[in-house]
Amino acid sequence: MRVTLQAELDQLEAALQEEGALVLRALRGCLNALEQSDVELADEVIAFDDEIDQSYLSIEEGIQSLLARQTPVAVDLRLVLAILHNNLHLERMADYCVTIAKLTKLVADVPHDQTILEGFDEMGTRAEEMIRVALDSFRDRNAQRAESLVDLDELIDRANRRVVGHVLSLGSDLALREWGLRMIIVSRCLERIGDHAVDIGEQTAYLVSGEFREFTDASHDPGTTPRDL
Amino acid sequence: MSTIPAPLGQRPRGDKVRGTIFYVLLLISVAVGFIVLFTLIVDVVQKGIGYIDPLFFTEPNNPTNPQEAGAKPAILGTIYLMVLLLMFVVPIGVGTAIYLEEYADRERWYNRLLELNIQNLAAVPSIVYGILGLAFLVRGLGLGRVLLAGALILTLLVLPTVIVASREAIRSVPDSIRQGAYALGATQWQVVRRQVLPAAIPGIATGSILALARAIGETAPLLLVGALTYVTVDPSLLGSFTALPVQIYQWIARPQEEFRYLAAAGIMVLLAILLTMNAFAIWLRNRYQRRW
Amino acid sequence: MPDMESAPAAPATIAGLDEKILTERREAVSRTRRDVLFDVDGLTVSYADVPALKNVSLEIYKNFVTAFIGPSGCGKSTFIRCFNRMNDLIPTASVEGKILYHGTDLYGHEVDSVEVRKRIGMVFQKPNPFPKSIYDNVAFGPRILGWKKELDDRVERALRNAALWDEVKNRLKSSAYGLSGGQQQRLCIARCLAVEPDVLLMDEPASALDPISTTAIEDLMHTLKRDYTIVIVTHNMQQAARVADMTAFFSVEVDEEQDRRTGILVEYDETPTIFTNPGDKRTEDYVTGRFG
Repeated sequence: MRVTLQAELDQLEAALQEEGALVLRALRGCLNALEQSDVELADEVIAFDDEIDQSYLSIEEGIQSLLARQTPVAVDLRLVLAILHNNLHLERMADYCVTIAKLTKLVADVPHDQTILEGFDEMGTRAEEMIRVALDSFRDRNAQRAESLVDLDELIDRANRRVVGHVLSLGSDLALREWGLRMIIVSRCLERIGDHAVDIGEQTAYLVSGEFREFTDASHDPGTTPRDL
Repeated sequence: MSTIPAPLGQRPRGDKVRGTIFYVLLLISVAVGFIVLFTLIVDVVQKGIGYIDPLFFTEPNNPTNPQEAGAKPAILGTIYLMVLLLMFVVPIGVGTAIYLEEYADRERWYNRLLELNIQNLAAVPSIVYGILGLAFLVRGLGLGRVLLAGALILTLLVLPTVIVASREAIRSVPDSIRQGAYALGATQWQVVRRQVLPAAIPGIATGSILALARAIGETAPLLLVGALTYVTVDPSLLGSFTALPVQIYQWIARPQEEFRYLAAAGIMVLLAILLTMNAFAIWLRNRYQRRW
Repeated sequence: MPDMESAPAAPATIAGLDEKILTERREAVSRTRRDVLFDVDGLTVSYADVPALKNVSLEIYKNFVTAFIGPSGCGKSTFIRCFNRMNDLIPTASVEGKILYHGTDLYGHEVDSVEVRKRIGMVFQKPNPFPKSIYDNVAFGPRILGWKKELDDRVERALRNAALWDEVKNRLKSSAYGLSGGQQQRLCIARCLAVEPDVLLMDEPASALDPISTTAIEDLMHTLKRDYTIVIVTHNMQQAARVADMTAFFSVEVDEEQDRRTGILVEYDETPTIFTNPGDKRTEDYVTGRFG
């Protein structure tokens, strides 16, 4: 029943997952470029963002058309709204990858600190993992797994704080300090990518339960969630 | 000041009384009709039952000896008339009905004239048909006073009834059926032949049988066209003939009282035929009644 | 030097991206190729010389579902009935302008309306099965076309294409009136399909049906459009949004002086456009429900 509606929903979701795959590629690319100060690779990452933008726009258009024509309700409506939000989250993640790539280009010729770069390696891997978990749990409608993203995000947040701490202790070398400042932004980008992954997880929970709910509330101590109260 | 609504279950007395009076009046009307009919039938059966025997059906009339009189030519005459009537009136009546309902353009003057004619014909008294038959068929066409003439004049008599009944039956076929058939690429003839007519047949059949039942009792036109009252031979198409109503009429006119009993017997047979035909028509209608 | 191409591909998290969906996406893209099947040029339909629908021009594309929407009285039913010349059955109707079908004007002098209806079928608002068996309903079209051979196969194929075969295969000889409303409508569709038309015209096909039957009919349209061209009239614009590739919005033009209401074509475009960003304000007022 409602063959067309189902087909269009499947197509939109598939397009979203495809977009997720593209974002993962962009992330891996910008991380590699950062690690190796590879300016060419950074340029490729920046150019690649056009593809992701195209995907984003196409999904937006598809959602608009589907809402207008098929008037989905209940779980179908929640799915469309979830795809709408996740589309945005993925696009933001891609933008952060571009920012990292641009910063890589900016400081390519500048000396850098290996510890911090290793920290980024860890954060980057963590972020990749979070994106995969987010997309998989969305595909599988697995709200529990989606909630585990909170804990993973905690790890990135801690790593972010450590990077900041390290930069503060970099000493008086001006060039290094400039590099350090840029890297704080990089760290922040990776941390924000993690946040967006959590947001995608929240969409999965919304899709399954129908309730709008944040996994963590900023007004509470980190480590407690509204559920604990 | 609040008004207390009337408690449920209590109708105003005026309404109740009026309702009851009306109901009683209805019952009286039904009773009157029923009682009169009942009385007539009982009277006829009482008088005629004694004369219903095989003789009645095998012997021709005997004006001198009522004990040996029968109604065989009359019964046969009636049957032949009915058969001929059916053969003539159904094709003409149904054909006219189809033309008027499916093909005629109502705006045209000749079609309007035709409709007017048919309506008028239904109102013409049967004796006028008799005169018509005498003038045109018996004398004009030179047929003479024969069975065929009788059948033809009866045809004219009941034709309007058959046309009206057929038109009703055709009209009651929903237009959506026709539209559906046209939309499949059927020609007008195919639509009529394959959809309209088959669906209208129950109505047409019922109407025809009822027309027949009316014709069976007609006496006046038959008399004028030549149904004789003393016929010994069995009727034939172009020979002299008689029919049950005519025979009954003749018997009643005789002075001997026994002939009246014969007449009653004849009436019983006529009634029996009538009731059978009507029952058949009703059965037909019920059997093929479609719920659109 | 590592580059984007050699960056490790993300593990397969591409859900549901199987062949079926890829094919559908390719098909959706190729649907932008439009073959013109009907070319309507300046069509005006009048009843007793009063125009009901004025000066309509548009193209209907092959294997598309095209919907006509609009308020009541806007002439959309009148318009769709022009495509199979059903308006010919209304004595007071007259048509000006052209409808080119495969290059021939449907209203040309040498064109026979019966032939037109064999190629262009129609399904009506209220299901109108014939008072016959299911088999005879579907077989009616082929029979009048003279296709006597392989009738059983034709009937089965038509019923399968109308998604009704499984439900009726064991009772083909039973009356069509024993089916539910939704089944009857599918039977009417099967009846049309049996004569192997190019085009299916549907005049509010689901408005008399319950929601589940409506969805079944809409899904059926989706399947049928691979082999047929479908034109539907619907007063339910959400239905048009769900099923149609192209949508035409008709509205009513009021002439205060002469107290006349005439139907006109306001906008005709791809369905997503009509329902997300229509070009004409009147269209937007209608689809948003603000039509006064």
